[in-house]
Amino acid sequence: MKKSLQIRPSDTINAFLLFFIIHAAQIGIGIQGFQRIVYQDAKHDAWISVILAGLATHIIAIFMLKTLEIYGSNDLYGIHQDIFGKWIGNFFNIIYILYSSVSFFAVLRNYIDVVQSWVFPDLGTWFLAASLLLIIIYTFTGGLRVIVGMTFFSVVLSIGLFPMIAFPMKYMEPRNLLPILEANLGELLKGLKSMSFTIIGFEILYVIYPFVKDKENAKKHIHLGLFATSIIYLSIMLVTLTYFSGEQLTKTIWATLSLFSIVEFPFIERFEYIAVCFWMLIILPNLCLFIWSAFRGTRRLVNISAKKFVWIFSSIIFLVSLTFKTRFQINTFNDYFGQLAFYIIFIYPIILYFFATVKKKFKSRKEQVD
Amino acid sequence: MKQFYFFVVLLVVSVGLGGCAETKILEEVGLTTLVGYDLAKEDGVESTAIIRQVGTELQSKVSIITAENATIQGTRAKVNRRAAEKLESGQLRGVLFGDEFAKKGIGHSIDTSLKNPAISEGMLLAVVEGDTKSLLEYEYPSIDEIGQHIHKLLDQNIKSEQVISSTLHEVSYDYYAVGRDIALPIIKRDEELVDISGIALFKKDKMVGTLLVDDSFYVKLSRDDYHNGTHELKVKGDELSSTLLKDPPDEISLVFDPIKTHRNLKLVDLKQPEFDMNISIQARILEIKDNINIGDAKSAEELEKAISKKLKSEISRVIAYCQEIGSDVFGYGEYYRSSVRNSELTEEKWREMYKEMKVNVNIDFTLIRSGVFE
Repeated sequence: MKKSLQIRPSDTINAFLLFFIIHAAQIGIGIQGFQRIVYQDAKHDAWISVILAGLATHIIAIFMLKTLEIYGSNDLYGIHQDIFGKWIGNFFNIIYILYSSVSFFAVLRNYIDVVQSWVFPDLGTWFLAASLLLIIIYTFTGGLRVIVGMTFFSVVLSIGLFPMIAFPMKYMEPRNLLPILEANLGELLKGLKSMSFTIIGFEILYVIYPFVKDKENAKKHIHLGLFATSIIYLSIMLVTLTYFSGEQLTKTIWATLSLFSIVEFPFIERFEYIAVCFWMLIILPNLCLFIWSAFRGTRRLVNISAKKFVWIFSSIIFLVSLTFKTRFQINTFNDYFGQLAFYIIFIYPIILYFFATVKKKFKSRKEQVD
Repeated sequence: MKQFYFFVVLLVVSVGLGGCAETKILEEVGLTTLVGYDLAKEDGVESTAIIRQVGTELQSKVSIITAENATIQGTRAKVNRRAAEKLESGQLRGVLFGDEFAKKGIGHSIDTSLKNPAISEGMLLAVVEGDTKSLLEYEYPSIDEIGQHIHKLLDQNIKSEQVISSTLHEVSYDYYAVGRDIALPIIKRDEELVDISGIALFKKDKMVGTLLVDDSFYVKLSRDDYHNGTHELKVKGDELSSTLLKDPPDEISLVFDPIKTHRNLKLVDLKQPEFDMNISIQARILEIKDNINIGDAKSAEELEKAISKKLKSEISRVIAYCQEIGSDVFGYGEYYRSSVRNSELTEEKWREMYKEMKVNVNIDFTLIRSGVFE
């Protein structure tokens, strides 16, 4: 098909890196406090909602891959332009660029809130936003390979955090999970919807797919990455549900960080402080991938250099992050964003796949006639 | 390269600015290690804080400051105004409640502690017989720093399972759970020492009753599994059969060490509700008065029976007392919720049911050994 992206071999990445990219793009800021949001919908069956959400990501990833495979080597922005034509296609592109930018903002602003709540209550938002954005600008200007490299290191270095949830297991009350399946299907699905803020990120596949060198191996690594994420979410959810009692959990804003606060070593008494600071390494790939995805889209609309784009983009984000002052504002924003993300990530790919197949059939028939 | 230098400069600037965040240098802050809350006039709080200040040459100085105000954080500000160094609560190891304060309710205090990210969830809570101020301000000849001492005292006894564990996390778990109530250890000054004297039982967040420290064994036994710790028991003489001891005295004291216990709870009647509680205990005898020979299997069995009977009556007594004061420290309500589908158990509903609750206690006591000498 036409409009296929031409990518220099030096810009491509190996398929196995998709495991790290998908996994790192999913795990970010949501994991710190997704438990109570899902708990509010599905109560002590929240872990079932997590499993359902995990399954949903696998299904959606299949749809995404199928759509991409139709086009061989093109990204979402190109697919939009091909299916819907220049104007409507670009309209969808703008929506997706905005979505990526809002995701970027959500991660950044929530992380700043966490740092201010746990470690530096007096530190200004502008300072944290500026220093984080500088790091991102630096990484971004390095190009895709630098971003992917950092993603790899982020995953490898943060593996060490995961076993820490063994410490709170000392206080587990496994009976909290009983009776299983007390929530009805509607509540479970509502819980799944509440998971969307936490589990999104794998849509980066739409943009990064053309850059994969050995595309035939991509599928395996994508599903492995999604599976790893689901396992982590599930185990954290199970520990949380048994560690906290009902109302205690609904009042705990960042349950994962609270789980860490019971971790104690002879040489470090308050582990959650380390965790909060270390989290920057976890959200960096998130931020870089989102900004990169927004950049790829913007490039399709206007001719702009990466450097110029990143500075304009960061300045806008910086200014917007200053307008959010209270926890209440951030929470309301998260709620709306979660809803939006649900439709864009869990519903839209199916529709897009439908359009792509129809278009393909239509085209091949036309070619036959010709 | 030019860009690289640009970022180096930015990095230096941001690190420099980052260093401008509020610093907390060890020698310049006072570390609050323990706080006691008492009831002050007009529903206010009187806080007594133990503050430790570490000097440059590892010597540390301890001061005790008391302040009264309407809120907990208000007293903190007041204490701060009376202290030589800025107060930090990151090393807070314990919170004590005077018994009058505990009767008024500690829920607010738990909530305030949880809000503060500086406070560890591993912090220990306890109730003081009388008021905390006099306990903390007394000059104990053999205790260096009372804050550290009380924390170690509680920690050590909790680890050896002599008293109920009362970390902030566990207390807030019980506080916010439906069908489970808080139990805290009680400490008091005993002449020149601090002593754990019992356990305080709460209804929601208000202290409603106390049990003796010996009874905390029974509470623990019926709350969860037990691993170590020793227990002294007095078995009535006439409960022992004559084969074991001719002409038994009124009471026989013995000490055993439960090596392994297991609690098995079963809901047998939903309406009333009625529970079957089977506790199996495997223990070794450490000491037994009046030199009863338990060398042969038959007399060991007799003794096991007598101990089981005694334990059963003691546990039933403790449960009956808790029911009477309306404090479910055992978590029967939580068990009920998890056993009954769609129970929609609420606090009020369970309080009503708890009064009517019936528990059939069954003890299976097994004597494993009695040391290396018979």
